[in-house]
Amino acid sequence: MALSRAPNVVRNDLEQVFRESYARVVAVAARVLGSNDEAEDVAQEVFLTFGRSDVPKGEAVGWLSVAAAHTALNHIRTGKRRAGREERARSHDTVTPDVAEAVVASEERRRVRQALARLPRKQAVALVLRHSGLSYAEVAAALELSPGSVGTTVRRAESALRKELEP
Amino acid sequence: MKRHPDDGVLRRLVDEPTGVTDTDRHHVTTCQICQAGLADARRDAEFAATALSSGDPALNGSVAPAPASAGPDLDAAWQRLIHTGDPARKTRTASRWRRSPFIAGAAVVALLGGATAAAAADWFPIFRTERIAPITVHQADLMAMPDLSTWGDVEIISKPEIHRVPSEAAAEKESDLELPRVGKLPRGVTGDPTWQAGRRISAEFTFRADKIKSPAPPMPAGLDGSKFRLTAGPGAAAVWQSNQGVPSLIVARAVAPTAYSTGVPFATARDYLLSLSGLPEDVAAQLRRFSADGTTLPVHVMPEEMSSAPADVNGVSATVLTSKDGVLSVVVWVQGGVVTAVAGSLSADEVLTVARGLR
Repeated sequence: MALSRAPNVVRNDLEQVFRESYARVVAVAARVLGSNDEAEDVAQEVFLTFGRSDVPKGEAVGWLSVAAAHTALNHIRTGKRRAGREERARSHDTVTPDVAEAVVASEERRRVRQALARLPRKQAVALVLRHSGLSYAEVAAALELSPGSVGTTVRRAESALRKELEP
Repeated sequence: MKRHPDDGVLRRLVDEPTGVTDTDRHHVTTCQICQAGLADARRDAEFAATALSSGDPALNGSVAPAPASAGPDLDAAWQRLIHTGDPARKTRTASRWRRSPFIAGAAVVALLGGATAAAAADWFPIFRTERIAPITVHQADLMAMPDLSTWGDVEIISKPEIHRVPSEAAAEKESDLELPRVGKLPRGVTGDPTWQAGRRISAEFTFRADKIKSPAPPMPAGLDGSKFRLTAGPGAAAVWQSNQGVPSLIVARAVAPTAYSTGVPFATARDYLLSLSGLPEDVAAQLRRFSADGTTLPVHVMPEEMSSAPADVNGVSATVLTSKDGVLSVVVWVQGGVVTAVAGSLSADEVLTVARGLR
């Protein structure tokens, strides 16, 4: 008996923050999930939570980006990928000219997602944020790291990812 | 001679060189060791960029991050966010609950409910819900929390398959429960309800030592491969819709959760799972406390969204949950192995009045 509830849009600045940040939040989730359709689902989830929060507007982009990365990683880790979205992703694959290519691409997405989920969470989030366009200073602020340690964290994540994925 | 810049500095030279000091940049330019390190960092960064862009043409694989050129449809996305009856939103809500410590924590506790171990191959009851108690889990902890599948295999044996039925009699027949009747509807709730029924849900969890990532405390002997089964339901509900398309009142009843095991040292297993869970100590302590009697089902409450309070429904202890914005209230209690809930877009007083007036 799931209970639906009216959206608690309590923040006056929600629409402004949404319009300014939605594309970035989707981009962060898409880096994790390899699919813009699924990333938009994650973005909706993240903005619903943000809409009920009292996160200061000045910290919104960082908060939203971290939340998007965590939520997307949680989707992978717990295997909660909805059948409908999978179906939509498959329909994207069908436009690939070569069926074999589509199969390879799909398998590649799966391997990357699993490798990301196996990384230490902070490394995975730092990696995703940096590759989504956040500057070192923005990643540092969002993850409460020193700017100097962002490079180290991202470097370790990239090295681990390569070791996981390369034969 | 100046020490070599660390890996983090070399990494930053790849895609944000202006953030690196002139001294370090000069050193790297003239140092063969650092040049090799920089080449490694660049190679790994390019590999990661390609990997992270795989699968969707909208993403590119360059090391220098770039925003998506063809962005999402903002207006459609905004409408979806604020649209009340969006089916996808209902799915998300369900997804959030599946992922929550209600499952991760409650299932752990319910499965490891503190009963004595039984050296038997048959399923052995270890937990039955006699009461419900709220535990507080902050949003940040919720997001960092893995679920049971991180520590073993979770298999859904049977799904509730909640569906609409034509009448109260049909709902009662399917659930084999007598549904309570509302004495007086609260102000603003009108009309006749619709009826829903759901079948029994049953899930099985198998501990897997090979799934638990190190560093982790050593697994106690006998846990690897041990199985637990959690069941709940069947259930039924009366639902009054509002003109906004969301239920204004729900009165639901279901067979309360019960857990079974093939026989393990429960207290040891419980403490081991809680040590792996990543939960802060205060939450773990709440779960340990509730698990002591094997009859209290903890319901997680995220203080950023909900508040909880104890209540009394005609002599039975109950828990009232209220959303911070006052949009949603729920009162839930357990009696005789059956859990009953009254929920809706109502105040806490209103759901309590309905609950106390059930016949």
